[in-house]
Amino acid sequence: MEMIAVGGASTEPRSRSGQYLIVQLQGEAFGLDITDVREIIAYMVPTQIPMMPDFVVGVINLRGQVVPVIDMARRFGRPATQIHKRSCIIILDLQDGHSRQRLGVVVDAVNEVLEFGTEQVEPAPQFGAGLRTEFIRGMGKVEGNFMILLEMGRVLSLEEMSALSAIAAEDGTIGTADYGV
Amino acid sequence: MMDMDPQMAAALQTFFEESRDLLQDMESALLFMEEQGADLERINAVFRAAHTIKGSAGLFGLEEVVRFTHRLENLLDQIRSGTKTLSPGNITLLLSCGDHINDYLDRLVSATPLDQHFLSEDLRLLAALQSALGENSSATDPSLTEPSLTVYDDVESRTEFIHEVSSDAPVKSAANWHISLRFGQDTFRDGMDPLSFLRYLQQIGEITGLVTLTDALPALSMMDAETCYLGFEIAFRSVADKASILDVFDFVKDNSIIHVLPAHGQIAAYLKMIQQLPEGDQHLGEILVAVGSLTPEELQKALALQEGSDQTGQHLPLGEILVEQKMVQEPVVQGALEKQQQQRESKNAERQLLRVRAHDLDHLVDLVGELVIASAANRLFAGREDLESRLESSSQVARLVEEIRDGALRLRMIDVAELFQRFPRVVRDTARTLNKDIRLEISGEGTELDKSMAEKISDPLMHLVRNAMDHGIEPAEQRLAAGKPAQGSIILHARHDSGGIVIEVSDDGGGLNREKIRRKALEKGLISADQLLTDPEIYALIFAPGFSTADTISDISGRGVGMDVVRQNIESVRGRIDIDSTPGRGTTMRIHLPLTLSIIDGFLVRLAQDTYVIPAEAVEECLEYPQTVGSVGYMELRDQPLPLLDLSAVFKKAELSETRRNVVVVRHGMERIGVVVSGILGNQQTVIKPLGKLFERVPGVSAATILGNGDVAPILDIPTLIQRHYAISAKSALVH
Repeated sequence: MEMIAVGGASTEPRSRSGQYLIVQLQGEAFGLDITDVREIIAYMVPTQIPMMPDFVVGVINLRGQVVPVIDMARRFGRPATQIHKRSCIIILDLQDGHSRQRLGVVVDAVNEVLEFGTEQVEPAPQFGAGLRTEFIRGMGKVEGNFMILLEMGRVLSLEEMSALSAIAAEDGTIGTADYGV
Repeated sequence: MMDMDPQMAAALQTFFEESRDLLQDMESALLFMEEQGADLERINAVFRAAHTIKGSAGLFGLEEVVRFTHRLENLLDQIRSGTKTLSPGNITLLLSCGDHINDYLDRLVSATPLDQHFLSEDLRLLAALQSALGENSSATDPSLTEPSLTVYDDVESRTEFIHEVSSDAPVKSAANWHISLRFGQDTFRDGMDPLSFLRYLQQIGEITGLVTLTDALPALSMMDAETCYLGFEIAFRSVADKASILDVFDFVKDNSIIHVLPAHGQIAAYLKMIQQLPEGDQHLGEILVAVGSLTPEELQKALALQEGSDQTGQHLPLGEILVEQKMVQEPVVQGALEKQQQQRESKNAERQLLRVRAHDLDHLVDLVGELVIASAANRLFAGREDLESRLESSSQVARLVEEIRDGALRLRMIDVAELFQRFPRVVRDTARTLNKDIRLEISGEGTELDKSMAEKISDPLMHLVRNAMDHGIEPAEQRLAAGKPAQGSIILHARHDSGGIVIEVSDDGGGLNREKIRRKALEKGLISADQLLTDPEIYALIFAPGFSTADTISDISGRGVGMDVVRQNIESVRGRIDIDSTPGRGTTMRIHLPLTLSIIDGFLVRLAQDTYVIPAEAVEECLEYPQTVGSVGYMELRDQPLPLLDLSAVFKKAELSETRRNVVVVRHGMERIGVVVSGILGNQQTVIKPLGKLFERVPGVSAATILGNGDVAPILDIPTLIQRHYAISAKSALVH
């Protein structure tokens, strides 16, 4: 009988080629591995959870399940994402150790799904992308331009985010949670 | 542990669970008999438990278990047949054997190596079993000595046969059998391996001839690799009786065709078997001859007989044939048939219990929780529209949903008897260690509680019982001097009480010593000398960390780590414990538990625009925020200072601008604070939703819930908030 390998850690770099959901975030396009994406929903106002770092917008009720929502821009150390008509929340299922964690990220808009072949993806540059290198899976080539393909397992690393949450709860320096909604 | 495919691992898991249940049954039966005297029914139950464990262990190749249980079975067998008595010594031995098997299984599950301690215990028990069997070791295997028993076993067996009880039975030596096996098509898919059955068969006898039947194998292109097409005809030599041989195939009996016949035995039986098997008659007959179970002459006779019956066009029921041929007496057959019927019925009753994956059940309960919320919203909207028919139907839905919720929650419930079942043994062993005569009374079986709660409460309960035995119940001389019976008693009682469950541990010992507790608490600096305390307040001191009043530290309890852990564990399932004690008469520890862990009574409060839930059990009262209070952080409540906790400050929100605010007085243990909120929204049944890993380090919020309008509301963690209150106020005192 065949042994079924149970998924490895999300931090393992996966093959870079494949389909990516292209999203718009503060004027910049990013690619999210389509296999992580569960669904895309219209923006709904999350309920704030007190004492969380500013990149945790809050939690939403996704058909009865309480799902945390992350502001990726804040996570990248940029200003908070402003909510407008085309804002939406992308629900992702990310492997975390042996369990799958469901998370939502706020984006300005969803553009399209693009297929990247191996030859269309370059390794992440050491600097210049304005992002922590580990957040970048690769640079996708589209019509002569590059866009960042994100390593969502790292961007939304629960371990790191929950450690930051603990710090945020201890002192108020990170979270002055007055979200412009 | 050994490498195995997932299905095998799952089957092994089932084996562990079943074996633990069986060992538990065995223990209960033994303890009962120790108290009430031996009875055959329970001895049989113990024997069956050991036998089933042995059989299953053999399937998985757990040789140590097979070897050990085999010896155990020998002793049980002799007790069953009356050769040996169930002496107190034997009961203790059998109990230790049960523990030993349990220990082995535990080690297997946790992949702990078998160390010196285990091996010496193994040797000790085997030696003890040997000597218990000792004086009469030459006795014949009792399973083969009683003809009446043999008939009985046959009838119980699940095949259609009543095999011949011929004049030369009872057989004292090894007998020849013929076993005909057609494994069910799903055998592999069910996680079974035909080979393991054959291997196990060799443990109870010798396979003298074997032919593998591949007739059912389709052409290669048609073959499904996961389907079992195999059949076996086996000539077998063994001292085991038919039931034991059939037991080997217990796991596959439902889907496979299994016949066990005495070799060279009743031709009619062979005939019937040949008719029932899928292969061609002639072919099968030749195989039977080939494996040596039939002689060619016997085969000829059988086939001739079959032709005869085919011509008349009717098959007589086997029972009738047997009677006709004067092989069994009619009343025996009648009784046997009735017995068989009863067996089937009891088997059906057993099947009415299902094993369900806990995860599936949790999912169902979650969905029902959603349904409760959705139905509340539905009612809300129906109320707004003011359409009577709509309102009516929505309240009917709401009522049904509530029933479904109760039903779904009940699925998670177990009888408190399951929780209590380990205690007779604990009390027995502890009483021996303490050298006290103590009786355990259990009442309130039938009270149900959530399974995960039962698991969490089991250890604290154990500690309370041991504590009561050690510290509560006085030594016999002291009891007699006080005019009490020498035998102490511990009562475990469970009951439902106002939407919750109460479990009581009572002893009829000396009661708690007020003065001693007070002195000790003073010594440890838990209270000050001038503090006036009520009895319950003094008793509650024994739950303080590091508190122990025992003069000597014993093995059983008295290390002083116990009672505060007990309280923590109980509080972790949102329960509480209180103490009732009368000097000289005894002590009752009363544990109050909520009915379920997934739904609580919530008290909804508003903080600016946000809604928060405070568990209603923590709420004592609600007050208007006094206008006169400064920023001192205290207000006056019935001449007592009440520390205030401003949620907006704790949660680092903008300060509340409302002039009208409310104070919710919450309590945890002996501490009490006032939580300042913007408004109070009232009570609501609240389904608890875990917040997940991201939020697990957020103090003050334990979970979330979904409100009727679909919004999420955090549930406040009152104990943590109270603890943090002091830290925060200390810090802000430094800053300002």
